[in-house]
Amino acid sequence: MSVSATRFSVSTSLNRWFGQHLSLAIGAGMLAFFIIMAIAAPLIAPYDPVVQMADARLQPPSLSHPFGTDNFGRDILSRVIWGTRIDLQIAFIGVVFPFIIGTMLGTIAGFFGGLVDTVFMRIVDIILAFPFLVLMLSIIAILGPGLTSFYIAMALVGWVSYARLVRAQILVLKNSDYAVAAVSLGFSRMRIMFRHLLPNAIAGSLVFVMSDAVLVLLNGAAISYLGLGVQPPAAEWGIMVAEGQPFVTTAWWITFFPGLSIVFLAFAFSLLGDALGDLLGVHE
Amino acid sequence: MTAPLLSIRDLVVNFHGQGAPRTLIDHVSVDLAEGEILGLVGESGSGKSLLCRAVMGLLPSRRLMIDGGLVALWGRDLVKASPADMLAVRGREIGMIFQNPTSHLDPVMKIGDQIAEGIRFHQGASAREAREAAVEILRQVGFPDPARQYDNYPHEFSGGMRQRAMIAAALSCRPKILIADEPTTALDVTIQAQILELLLDLRERLGLSVILITHDLGIVAQTCDRIAVMRDGKLVEQGPKRQVLRAPKHDYTRMLIGSHPSLPAGNIAKPCNVGPAVRQKERPLLEIDDLHVRFDTGGSLFRPGRKTVSAVKGVSLQVMPGDAIGIVGESGSGKSTLARAILGLVPLSSGHIAFDGVDIAQQPRKALAKLRRETAMVFQDPLNALNPRLTVGETLGEVLKIHGTPVAEIPGRINELLDLVHLGREFAGRKPRSMSGGQCQRVGIARALAVNPRLIIADECVAALDVTIQKQIVDLFAELKARMNLTLLFIAHDLAIVRNLCERVLVMYHGEIVEEGLSADIFARPQRPYTAALIDAVPDIDPDKKLLAPKTDVEPAAA
Repeated sequence: MSVSATRFSVSTSLNRWFGQHLSLAIGAGMLAFFIIMAIAAPLIAPYDPVVQMADARLQPPSLSHPFGTDNFGRDILSRVIWGTRIDLQIAFIGVVFPFIIGTMLGTIAGFFGGLVDTVFMRIVDIILAFPFLVLMLSIIAILGPGLTSFYIAMALVGWVSYARLVRAQILVLKNSDYAVAAVSLGFSRMRIMFRHLLPNAIAGSLVFVMSDAVLVLLNGAAISYLGLGVQPPAAEWGIMVAEGQPFVTTAWWITFFPGLSIVFLAFAFSLLGDALGDLLGVHE
Repeated sequence: MTAPLLSIRDLVVNFHGQGAPRTLIDHVSVDLAEGEILGLVGESGSGKSLLCRAVMGLLPSRRLMIDGGLVALWGRDLVKASPADMLAVRGREIGMIFQNPTSHLDPVMKIGDQIAEGIRFHQGASAREAREAAVEILRQVGFPDPARQYDNYPHEFSGGMRQRAMIAAALSCRPKILIADEPTTALDVTIQAQILELLLDLRERLGLSVILITHDLGIVAQTCDRIAVMRDGKLVEQGPKRQVLRAPKHDYTRMLIGSHPSLPAGNIAKPCNVGPAVRQKERPLLEIDDLHVRFDTGGSLFRPGRKTVSAVKGVSLQVMPGDAIGIVGESGSGKSTLARAILGLVPLSSGHIAFDGVDIAQQPRKALAKLRRETAMVFQDPLNALNPRLTVGETLGEVLKIHGTPVAEIPGRINELLDLVHLGREFAGRKPRSMSGGQCQRVGIARALAVNPRLIIADECVAALDVTIQKQIVDLFAELKARMNLTLLFIAHDLAIVRNLCERVLVMYHGEIVEEGLSADIFARPQRPYTAALIDAVPDIDPDKKLLAPKTDVEPAAA
């Protein structure tokens, strides 16, 4: 019976699979679009993103400048395309390090328990006791403005949510029969932690990665807006919104298009997180 | 015979998923006469629970539909009844109790209120009347102090008392029919006997008709009037109890009867051929001396009042190589804790455990290394004991690798192990979720064998399986033991299984060994009343051997 059940024709099962995972298809498609845009930026951007054209300032969207120009006469479309590179990088690096650190510490805290657990979880409590942005800003203020400082601050602050998620899972799983079986078969602690417990505990965090990417993206934009992240004249969506702010009433396109890009990228991550949750069975 | 109270005719239930509908109940016809107990027997997946849910109009999914047949209750067709009519039928005319009382009682509602609720809904009684009626029902199902216990919550009762409360709730509106879905599977044998006796007693007093769903033919033999055997959604055989048990017509019924463990087996495990004189010189493989295991409970940083609970109190035991020893006892008797202590998975509080001459407490490193290499454990819940993300091949291969099998030999060894437990070699590529409970348990045994153990501890390893599968697994153990000269510690609450497999038996009660000896002796002449109660409580497949519920107060009432 099981043999016949696995012999679906490939095309119908693929169709059905995508039908059931519409959000996965759309999310992945949107993210792929942004990635291609980032890679192909030099090819598809019509102008240099930082070159100022004094004779073409504050022009509304037109055929030669589809997204218009800003107050220095820079082409918004080109800046949005080039900005994809930086913003994707922010979302990626800003999530990966907290994810790795948090998962590791959460696993160790949950698995060993006792003093190790107490120490790690009190650190988590301390970090959570401060408002997120205030903590970020003070760390960046100490390290000096710039993207590197932003990444370091993210890594120092962002890991706590992952640590909590993973720890809770590990606490449950370490009492499961297969964990006991692994101990009784003489597997090393490392092996039990990282091969047997972690893969079963990580589904929730993987889903959270996607929603966290949205938050990090918005944080990056906020930090740049405050002048502590990406430095002008580099093209980044958050900083573009900041620069366009004085002209919101007169030249809406300066803030509108980068803002829209942030929304779309965030939307793509949300859809992916949702689909990933379904695939990994987190919502059940 | 009077006209049947409930009559099921050609009932068909289909699953409408993608593709063609799958038939889960296939033209089943059964009658239930007034005052009769009908035993519905079959393995998991045979559709016996689904049949009863269809009768109640409680199909668990919208994709399941009754596509034919009728269910007549007093001549009224329940299949065509409106949902509003069914509300009146459920509870007032048909009551239902389930396998797991813990999950079917509301944990934040007083026991009595849960019973009174039905009375108020169905009979429109006032709060005071309902309370009085509920107290009376609690008394009927055997609550010693119903007026006070009315105000207790489910967690304050033991499993047996919770099942009594479930029965009380089901009976609250004086239904004519009670459907009991595996009502005793989650309970210890002694409690099971009490609940079955209660059902028989209620039938006498209230004139109930009962449909008893079970996989245990012993229960059927002891309680039912008629038997219906189901398999794969079809009714393969039905008839009066004695007739079916004595002269089964269908092969499947014969197999079910054949695999029932309480059969007075001629092949009761015989003591090892080696005479006692020879065995004296042998060194015991496992030696336990006055073992205590205590757990801390309660108390916190701010409330130092620490309490300890003794799970194992002064157990001493010697296991010779090649022995098969059964450990029996009710839940909470410390059997599992003892097993885990032997494997070094639970710290000892005092006493000694020596495995092959190495003391766990004195030489922990050496002893643990030795234990990990030479012992293995088989668990109760076969699905939960396997890592869901690894294939069978990966699970086995990992154990082999850790225990130093050269990489080149691993695939061959995996095949050997699968052969040993009678699984096809293609199982190496499958994941636990796509396998049945019996298949998972075979993998669990293969994993235990992968370390080439001298001692295997099986902790209730067949309790979660169907009777026919149980028999297969027990046979497998017997075969492996003979073939590989294994030493076996077999923990179970089912005495019949232990009797067929083990030559020696230990009976545990509240963390102590209360009786110990050769299986044949203990089962024939139990010395302690507790052991005798355990043995008498096992429902025998011979309907003339009466079930004896222990009269002693084995089950403490709620606080």
